[in-house]
Amino acid sequence: MALKVLEDKDTSKIIGESWVTARFEDLEDWAQRNSFWPFPFGTACCAIEFMSTLSSHYDVARFGSEVVRFSPRQSDVLLVAGTINDKMAPVLKKIYDQMADPKWVISMGACACSGGFYRAYHVMQGIDEIIPVDVYVPGCPPTPEGLMYGILQLKERVSRDRKKHRALVARAAGQAQEEISDRVDARPASA
Amino acid sequence: MSQPLASDPMPSMPSTPPPGRPVLKNPYPPHPTSTRPYRPGLAERLYLPLLSGLMVTMRHFLKNLFGAKMYTIQYPEERRDYSHRFRGHHILTTRPDGSVRCVACFLCAQACPAECIQIEAGEHPDVNIEKYPVVYEIDMLRCIFCGYCVDACPEEAIIMSNNYDMAYFTREQSIVGKGDLMKPFTFDENLLGYRPRYPEEEAKRAKMRRDAFNLVDEAKKARAREELAAATAAKAGAGR
Amino acid sequence: MSTLAPPLPETASAPVAWDAVREKFPAGSIIPQEGLDQPTWIVRREVLLDLARELRDNPATQFDLMLDLCGVDFPDRAPRFDAVYHLYSVPNAKRLRLKVPVGEDQPLPSLIPVWKAANWFERELYDMFGLQVTGHPNLRRILCHEGFQGYPLRKDYDAARRWILTEDKIYQPHFDLPAGADDMFERMTVNIGPSHPAMHGTFRLMAVLDGETIVASDVEIGYLHRCFEKMSETHNWQQVIPYTDRLNYCSSFINNVGYCRTVEQLLKVEVPPRAVWARTILSEFSRIMDHCVCNGSTLVDAGALSNFWYFFQPREEIYGLLESCCGARLTVSYGRIGGLSQDLPPDFMERSRRLLEIIPPFIEDVEKLIDKNRIWQDRTVGIAALSGEEAVNWGWTGPCLRASGVAYDVRRAHPYDLYDTVDWEVPVLYGGDVYDRYRIRMLEIRQSLKIIRQLLDRGMPEGPFITDDPHVALPPKEACYNQMEAMIYHFKLIMDGIQVPAGEVYSMVEGANGELGFYTISDGSSRPYRIKVRPPCFPIFSAFSRLINGGSLSDAIVSLGGLNVIAGELER
Repeated sequence: MALKVLEDKDTSKIIGESWVTARFEDLEDWAQRNSFWPFPFGTACCAIEFMSTLSSHYDVARFGSEVVRFSPRQSDVLLVAGTINDKMAPVLKKIYDQMADPKWVISMGACACSGGFYRAYHVMQGIDEIIPVDVYVPGCPPTPEGLMYGILQLKERVSRDRKKHRALVARAAGQAQEEISDRVDARPASA
Repeated sequence: MSQPLASDPMPSMPSTPPPGRPVLKNPYPPHPTSTRPYRPGLAERLYLPLLSGLMVTMRHFLKNLFGAKMYTIQYPEERRDYSHRFRGHHILTTRPDGSVRCVACFLCAQACPAECIQIEAGEHPDVNIEKYPVVYEIDMLRCIFCGYCVDACPEEAIIMSNNYDMAYFTREQSIVGKGDLMKPFTFDENLLGYRPRYPEEEAKRAKMRRDAFNLVDEAKKARAREELAAATAAKAGAGR
Repeated sequence: MSTLAPPLPETASAPVAWDAVREKFPAGSIIPQEGLDQPTWIVRREVLLDLARELRDNPATQFDLMLDLCGVDFPDRAPRFDAVYHLYSVPNAKRLRLKVPVGEDQPLPSLIPVWKAANWFERELYDMFGLQVTGHPNLRRILCHEGFQGYPLRKDYDAARRWILTEDKIYQPHFDLPAGADDMFERMTVNIGPSHPAMHGTFRLMAVLDGETIVASDVEIGYLHRCFEKMSETHNWQQVIPYTDRLNYCSSFINNVGYCRTVEQLLKVEVPPRAVWARTILSEFSRIMDHCVCNGSTLVDAGALSNFWYFFQPREEIYGLLESCCGARLTVSYGRIGGLSQDLPPDFMERSRRLLEIIPPFIEDVEKLIDKNRIWQDRTVGIAALSGEEAVNWGWTGPCLRASGVAYDVRRAHPYDLYDTVDWEVPVLYGGDVYDRYRIRMLEIRQSLKIIRQLLDRGMPEGPFITDDPHVALPPKEACYNQMEAMIYHFKLIMDGIQVPAGEVYSMVEGANGELGFYTISDGSSRPYRIKVRPPCFPIFSAFSRLINGGSLSDAIVSLGGLNVIAGELER
């Protein structure tokens, strides 16, 4: 949480020096990133490693992911674990579209990131063909610690992205609502 | 062959037929044509075994509450102790002068099932080391961490570390080049993973070398003794 | 528990009786092919249906289990395709392979009237090769999506050519249901999955519900079809091993062993005793892991969450052992053709013994919670029951079959590795329902622990961990660094690959779900010509509609869990 202690002498004279202030957005960000509820879109072996991450040995609930919600409306991180092939692609897109903003996508494992070693006639070569991905976690499957590292990286990005999102919205004040949301959806994958 | 159980409902079949009697054509029991589901006992129907189940969960609960050892590994402060064979991030090893050990023989690129290693070879000024990789890139998002590249390398130029902390924000970031793969020569043994030679095998090889050395040493001493004996025998013979 | 009677000695096998079966058909329509690993007949497609019926019903042959059906493409030959049937006689423990040469426009008769297992296999044959099957009620694609064009396993199909599936082409089910007289209430068709927690992520169940009862249902698979068989044709023999890991990813080492055994049989190379010992022990640990996941997930689907945590702890401990051997937890790639990839670590025995002490308390905890729990029994006893005879006709093998009263276990009927040198039982139960499938996995975990304990007591054999044939296994690294000869073998093995002599073999191991078979054809080059995986859960899952029709939706969820369908293996 980014707390800014007031430096302004006038204000500190008024309200004394035992107060700290912060922006509400920072509080919102802090709450958001410490309560990621993942939607485990698990198809293959990475889903088993995700199950291990949920289990008592690694326990991703320590990072706020106490519940895994299998409903897109009730979750905010789409965790794609496992190979997505061309038959599953419309399903994945539908789930992504049904998720409510703000949402993030973690692509776990080589197959979800890039198709892995399946350069084949039925395998999608990475889910970023159809949905924007925030964090790519490599590994085949990534160890639970590797996945948690990815989640922690996403947490940092949550703060950064929201600032950027705020900047975009503030800058685009006065423009039509659809244009803003288009831009938000198509936000570049790079920071 | 195992002995049938004493309480075996099936008639016990000998493993070899007794001599003189015809082998039965079909000692196998016919497939059941109907099912015989489990019949719960009275206690089970009265929900009584639920109590023993509750005792199990209560036992775990109390054990965890009052200071038992928790299985949870508190990542990122604690990390699991993986073995030194762990297949993690790759390392391109270096020679003592800091240059890359790889000679761009393309064996790793050939062995890789995911075709994630891209190499461009260049000529090395030293004529004993003919080639070196100008470009050596591994696409970490394609890599399946199988270790075939390590198995294939004849120079021990590529090994794996026990680092699994990798996450990328873009596809471009995930293509790791030569600079990021190389590590200085004096790296920490604890950071290494899957590689051709392990410490326990070092001990085995050292022992073999020691044994071989001892054998050679003893052979030399035995020969010296024989020569001495032969020399004294010859002197004694000549002296007479 | 009863044990399977040992297989009949060879003198009692009846090739003579089989000749009598052959002679019932017109001369020249069935030609035996000599010199292969199992009896093989080349059959004309006109007599196929009658031959199949005869083989199943004739008491001399009794081929009651249809294991596999696959196609092979020989583009330079006319007729172009071979449809290969693998049959098994459970009472006699005998195998037979039928090869039916067909051209592109020649339809095959459907064998569904003889073996219900043929249903999905014939659909796959159509999907992959484009072979028509007459008499099939539902001949459409099963693994590839509906917008797919072309037949991928044909040799002229480019492995990387993809087709996009658009929304309009997605399969909508069509049920032909007779309108009931008291059909006052609406029947609703519900789509469950593929992205559904109880569907284990990749199965789509379309059920017509009348209230809570399932009146009709259809299952759609193919959401994890990863083209293993095509990938195996584009990679060399050693590179296929990581692909086999990802078949049944819950017990990946068993797949490695199955594949390596197949290639070793083609190469006629012998595996050193140390590797055989390690393979047996690690296979049994993998089996324990798989049963833990299966039962854990089933219990989660039914609402009993604590057992999931209890079951995953033994898995973590076994992961530690596997990781200390080869460096990876789940997808191990530890087997190599001829042995293992690396030697066992020095603390292998101590770690394994420690595992034998750690695992039983967790299993006992779950048993105390669940076994005699009336809530669980009400949920599962009598649900999705299938008799042994019908299960065999559906092509079932493995724990699901043994829960229906048929004591067929590959490790006992056709022993391999060290299974016939240790004392263990094949557990059999007679309920055929979800409860017995759960129970039998717990019994099998105990048997696996027993096998491991005996092997550990026997001690680790000394010696190499891989064959020393330089045309098969990479030479040890010290030799490679120091000797020119070893370096040359190393170079040739990596660049050209293992050259496997031409031939074909079907070899099987007991996977955690049943008989995992690899039918491998080599044309003498460094790449496989055709590898067909006989996935144990393919025929098991094909019976799912039969199991759930008439039951309630919650029964369907629990029975899916009990079948242990692993999508990686189902759809390769």
